Amino acid sequence: MSDLPNPLRHGLRIGRTPEPCTVVIFGASGDLTSRKLVPALYNLARERRLPGGFSVVGFARRPWDDAQFRQVLLDGVNANSRSGAVETELWASFAEGIHYQPGSFDDPSAYARLAERLAELDQRRGTGGNRVFYLATPPEAYPDIIRQLGAHGLNQSPHGGWTRIIIEKPFGRDLASAQALNQQVLAVFEEPQVYRIDHYLGKETVQNIMVFRFANGIFEPLWDRRSVDHVQITVAENLGVEDRGGYYDHSGALRDMIQNHLMQLLALVAMEPPVSYDADAVRDEKVKVLRAIRRIRPEEVATYTVRGQYDAGSLSGRPLPGYRDERGVDPASQTETYIGLKLFVENWRWAGVPFYLRSGKALPRRVSEIAIQFKTVPTMLFAETPMHDIEPNVLAIKLQPDEGITLKFGSKVPGQPQIRPVTMDFRYGTSFGVASPEAYERLLLDCMLGDSTLFTRRDEVEASWSLITPIHQGWLASPAQPFPNYEAGSWGPTSADEFMARDGRTWRRL
Amino acid sequence: MTSMTMVEIGAIEHELRQLWSESAEKAPDGQAVIRALTLNLLACTHDAEHADRMTDAIQQLTASHPSRAILALLQPDAPEPRLDGFVQANCLLSRRGTPQVCGEQITLDARGSAVQQVVSLILALLVPDLPVVLWINNPDPFAEPLLARLRSVVDRVIVNSQAFAQPTSAFVQMAELERAVSSGGLALHTFAISDLTWASLTPWRELTAQFFDTRPLLPHLRRIDHVTITYQVPSGADNPVAGLLLAGWLASCLDWMPLEDAFSLEPDLIRFYLRRPAVGVGTGAIRLVTLDLRPVEAASGATPGLLALHLEALDGVTASFRVERAETPGYALTTATIAGMEPISRLARCEEPSLADLLAAELRLRHRDQTFSDALRVAGLLAARLRRDM
Ligand SMILES: NC(=O)c1ccc[n+]([C@@H]2O[C@H](COP(=O)([O-])OP(=O)(O)OC[C@H]3O[C@@H](n4cnc5c(N)ncnc54)[C@H](OP(=O)(O)O)[C@@H]3O)[C@@H](O)[C@H]2O)c1
Repeated sequence: MSDLPNPLRHGLRIGRTPEPCTVVIFGASGDLTSRKLVPALYNLARERRLPGGFSVVGFARRPWDDAQFRQVLLDGVNANSRSGAVETELWASFAEGIHYQPGSFDDPSAYARLAERLAELDQRRGTGGNRVFYLATPPEAYPDIIRQLGAHGLNQSPHGGWTRIIIEKPFGRDLASAQALNQQVLAVFEEPQVYRIDHYLGKETVQNIMVFRFANGIFEPLWDRRSVDHVQITVAENLGVEDRGGYYDHSGALRDMIQNHLMQLLALVAMEPPVSYDADAVRDEKVKVLRAIRRIRPEEVATYTVRGQYDAGSLSGRPLPGYRDERGVDPASQTETYIGLKLFVENWRWAGVPFYLRSGKALPRRVSEIAIQFKTVPTMLFAETPMHDIEPNVLAIKLQPDEGITLKFGSKVPGQPQIRPVTMDFRYGTSFGVASPEAYERLLLDCMLGDSTLFTRRDEVEASWSLITPIHQGWLASPAQPFPNYEAGSWGPTSADEFMARDGRTWRRL
Repeated sequence: MTSMTMVEIGAIEHELRQLWSESAEKAPDGQAVIRALTLNLLACTHDAEHADRMTDAIQQLTASHPSRAILALLQPDAPEPRLDGFVQANCLLSRRGTPQVCGEQITLDARGSAVQQVVSLILALLVPDLPVVLWINNPDPFAEPLLARLRSVVDRVIVNSQAFAQPTSAFVQMAELERAVSSGGLALHTFAISDLTWASLTPWRELTAQFFDTRPLLPHLRRIDHVTITYQVPSGADNPVAGLLLAGWLASCLDWMPLEDAFSLEPDLIRFYLRRPAVGVGTGAIRLVTLDLRPVEAASGATPGLLALHLEALDGVTASFRVERAETPGYALTTATIAGMEPISRLARCEEPSLADLLAAELRLRHRDQTFSDALRVAGLLAARLRRDM
């Protein structure tokens, strides 16, 4: 990250703004653009984080003009922005910089027109050749777009500006396709130009994991196999597949959630302190964790994994059809909508400590958390007293919906010879009283500022796929599962509880 | 929010404990009440109306800075000596199932000679091991006896220069005090000074700084030779502090030195001359910056404060950078115009911050704000010149 010596920046309480640039969104007529990307950009503008001259160019097939595109985005922002309905005048000023470039991803002439448009914007809006290309398209389109950008010289900026590319998930379907995609990208762009997005990393609480661990001396000495019994990482969704059935049926919970989001969370809880808070130092440590995870061989999947698929049921009082009845889903689908997983990080710190990961759709609540369960104290002291029933200490880092940290410990009930667990609760929302920015706001801004700490690096993606792919292969080679096996609105299949019971443990009740 | 309870002075701590256990009992099942204190906030005023507004601001602050607030309403001129105390818990409305966060407030109403007892009471009521902030809401804050008597325990003093009764002289006093405390010359224990008027300049500073985050525009910053700051004043009153602070900020960031006696004062224009470092090496010539403050009389109902900041480089390639309040309240228009290029402008939010917002911004600071000290030092020099002439 190059810091400009702007003397007026000293002591200003918010960070610097990026240089004027153009964000080119491929797939600009799609869902992600109007639901997440443009609301995030608008909110950044609203909070004065974007410079004058900032511009957006949308690229997709629909034959829209600038005015139509702006209207679609305006509707999207009105419906989805965390700051509520747009402020009319602010939008008018922001929208002056929004343009639309119709074209098909495989049509070279469309890229030639795009290049002209960008050059013209550099002149007119002072964007100085700075560009972000955002691939918000079906993943099959990535190779085409990347090749065409290279062919039209758009992988580099004129006038000494910078060019970066953001690639959405999924980044590959398995190790081989992720490697192939990395090769295609890196044939055209240099690794420092590439920003692989995992929007989980943009969440404020996820970033807080590192702050919490490394800025508070009291926990770090307990953060290892001597004190920790096991770790549970849960990402539960209280929705079905909605209208993404077609995509999901070819993906499943392992590849859609574990490979990226949960692996990232695991890496953040388990990693060693990085030498500095910069992109490569942090990512080096995360990669080391991923590489230290013991590979589950295809023939071991029954021991280390458990799968489920939801049946009809109800979520928050509303009926939900079974997964196999969703639009776009194969009626005999073997795709998992629930997964439980046991992993071991085989290094000095964590040897022998199981990390249990679970994620699923159509579960009762939307909740994500990381729970560190500490070993139980030797109970000799209270063994012969009514106070022998001591629960282990649990430190839970809650990511959503209420971001915060809770610590459970035992306390004597006043006046009675009894020990009861009590929780100490700390919530970011109430403690600091400020709304956290949306993940996409943070990530888009970081990319424009050239900070890739919260994006995944090539080796990270590949390390994660190399763990996930054998599991998937093992499943393919196993007999068909008795799907569906859990009711929508329940906490997953009973086999998941048995999976934990085998280790003498239980999933946390959330 | 609980209502205020009048209490015996000696029983304040006891009453507060009582208040907490009552709130905990009243909380719905499964909902905890969290007593969260991040600082001791001492607030003092001589004006009962101000006291109400201050209470409102303190309550709004609970969200970001739950504190033990002690609000002292001091009326030394009242004939009968009297000292009353009230306690209340300031609780945020909470969603079901989430704990309720509360701060607490003690109000001391002191009249006549009883004002003398307030300091000893405050000292007894401070929560140990938390920062102590003294917010003086009074037109002559540096003459406030409480400041002298509490200075050894206070970590931060908050004033508002826009409300000074004698703006230029109190401003010069503030600059001198800030210099003394920041050099540590006064005593072992030093405190930081915060000015809410400075806090209100943050969006202006931000919008100005943003022009120069851009590499191609940055070189123009060192070439600036004309600055115009336009601000609105209520009719009859002339308080240039916001303009002076903004000028002081620019000058201190850009190493401009006010020239001795080079300044002119007209009814609607105050002009200063400053010396700016030469651009590039070896040019040697002294470069002048003219810095104009232009007060504009506010139409009735308009809020006083900054209207526009205009930076220009006229010598050589002309470049102009302008931030001005837009017609729609709550917004500013920024425009960069460089010779030979299309002007680039945008509308940005620049909302009128509430009292609670300004306080929160200053309370977020853990240490002395060096940028403020530097800006105040130069602004103090400029103000001293005005004081001599006004
Ligand atoms: N939606 C989400 O919440 C979400 C969340 C995380 C990640 N993602 C990822 O983000 C990406 C985009 O998701 P999405 O939901 O926005 O997809 P979408 O709604 O299906 O939009 C796809 C976009 O791509 C354009 N497109 C497709 N083929 C094209 C072609 N040959 N030439 C030109 N344009 C073409 C479409 O434009 P036309 O229809 O105009 O042709 C449309 O704008 C995917 O990789 C997805 O996995 C999405």
